[in-house]
Amino acid sequence: MTTYIVRRLLVSLPVIFGILVAVFVITRLLPGDPCRALLGEKATEVACAAFNSRYGFDQPIPVQFLKYLQQVLTGDLGDSIRFGVPVTQLIVDRLPTTIELTAISLTIATFFGIKLGVRAATKRNSRTDVSTMIFANLGVSIPVFVLGLLLAYFFAVVLKGTPIALPPANRYTAGVIPTEIAVAWGLAGLQGPLRGLLDFISNMAIPNAILTLNPGNLIDAVKHLILPSVALATIPMAVIARITRSSLLDVLGSDYIRTARAKGLSEREVVSKHALRNALLPVATVVGLSLGGLLSGAVLTETIFGFAGIGRTISDAITARDYVVVQGVTVIVSVGYVVVNLIVDISYAYLDPRVRINS
Amino acid sequence: MSAQAQTPFRRALRSFLEQRTARVGLLLLSVLVIAALGADVFASYSPIDVLIDKEPGAIRLAGPCINALGCEGPQHIFGLDNNVRDVFARVLHGARLSLQVGFLTVGFAIVLGSLIGAVSGFVGGWVDNLFMRIMDVLLAFPSLLLAIAIVTVIGPGLINTQLAIGIVAIPIYARVMRASVLGLRDREFVAASRALGASEASILFRKILPNALTPIIVQGTLGIGGAILDVAALSFLGLGAQPPTAEWGSMIGADRNLLFSSPHVVVFPGIAITMTVLAFNLVGDGLRDALDPRLQR
Repeated sequence: MTTYIVRRLLVSLPVIFGILVAVFVITRLLPGDPCRALLGEKATEVACAAFNSRYGFDQPIPVQFLKYLQQVLTGDLGDSIRFGVPVTQLIVDRLPTTIELTAISLTIATFFGIKLGVRAATKRNSRTDVSTMIFANLGVSIPVFVLGLLLAYFFAVVLKGTPIALPPANRYTAGVIPTEIAVAWGLAGLQGPLRGLLDFISNMAIPNAILTLNPGNLIDAVKHLILPSVALATIPMAVIARITRSSLLDVLGSDYIRTARAKGLSEREVVSKHALRNALLPVATVVGLSLGGLLSGAVLTETIFGFAGIGRTISDAITARDYVVVQGVTVIVSVGYVVVNLIVDISYAYLDPRVRINS
Repeated sequence: MSAQAQTPFRRALRSFLEQRTARVGLLLLSVLVIAALGADVFASYSPIDVLIDKEPGAIRLAGPCINALGCEGPQHIFGLDNNVRDVFARVLHGARLSLQVGFLTVGFAIVLGSLIGAVSGFVGGWVDNLFMRIMDVLLAFPSLLLAIAIVTVIGPGLINTQLAIGIVAIPIYARVMRASVLGLRDREFVAASRALGASEASILFRKILPNALTPIIVQGTLGIGGAILDVAALSFLGLGAQPPTAEWGSMIGADRNLLFSSPHVVVFPGIAITMTVLAFNLVGDGLRDALDPRLQR
């Protein structure tokens, strides 16, 4: 197991290095002059020269690359052109909202996806199976921004005034203000990394409401999260349902399942105790892979629902041509994605001995 | 069964048409192609024509008006948008654009990806290693995010967006092609060609490639739906097609704040995207089931 983890880590390092190279190449080498991109088409030669020397664009490419590496590795992703604050600060402020949204969405997608897939597989070719698969096919085909807008319209306009109406935008209702966890716990004077961690958690609405013992805020935060997380969860849920179904059908056809049935086990026990464990292995891989889609989808979902998360930060940065922010967020989110996939792979190897022996 | 029915093509075609979902996909796709080709015939308005002073009674965001349902006045099946343009015409012309976008983007990715994958698998050694590590890096990004980063730098626009989505899709085709080539390069017919004195390039491009195309075609069909979705998403964010182009994603993006008062401006292009992507997914799934020998019952 240790050998497998070490080998997997060693494979990830070049990929992370590659991500840094790719982002550098995209921003420095592709056609397009950074000065004109940032200062506008009408920037004068003098202004551009000053700009280029300030950001080091007048130096040889290898020197620029080393400087860039040094900055990134020391946690410096540059300053936002629009806000003038460090990109790392923006990420610390806004990443929690995105983590909360994607984590809840992934949970919804996994839980209901597996449930639907199992139901379809055990009742193969029944009406349940067909309708589940129609739903799954529609689910992977509807764009997340269309689904999000339709959900917002239905729950905020059509159902307005009914008890199940839901808010179509923002993380809290106007006027609801979360207390910082550190303040609520009487630790306002706390400094350093521990305070940073508390502030980070504080920016996630649901953990914040729970930890500051504020039931009113909790209900408000949950209500605002339902529509965006359902919109975001639909595509991975459909994918997971399809994989669970086909994988479970494969397993149900194998010899050991016939043996289990011959022993006289009920169909329910055969599925839940024998078949599902093996059938869920490919599902675990897909769950890990859906994270990339969730992070992409978060850009659109946060834009629609007005969440101040990392995805919204990117789409705002696009409009403002703040490419330092786009670049920094891309690096952080991509590296985070690689790390999460690494964890998924390792847990996969832990669950299935065949993986660590064969690869 | 006659001998004619046994040809691989006929068997695949029959196996494809036996699937109900594949038939539905094919039907949807035909509707789309007809809508796209006949956009000028079916829609009586131009997709970019602002009707405000040209047509009496034309107002911003007017809801659908269908004569057959008793609506008097000029017929606008899907209503008018915020700029007083006919939404029906824009949706139909959007079909033309989206089909183009899907095929071009995936075509670009298939050509480059297949080339990289084929050379990688055929030559092997450090070339293979280098190419595949580059592909690993491209796959390590959340796809839409990488496409956004590329378009932000090279500038917004439909062509640049397609280029970015195409680049992001290259590794998928490179991997599929490499796997096929690896499975073929040690087969007898390749050794036979070599013994007959064929050059390496001719072996790769004339003997191996044609035999490795099936998985690429299946992957490509499934990829078209994804490409249309991604281009629409970037257009929704304002990076893709620029106004006044009739593109579904940008139609929704431009008028999305008007959803609550005039849902028709979002609903119709939304249905159009979903239907298109669904069509390609169903046809792609059907092709995969029909062409994958492991699934043959």
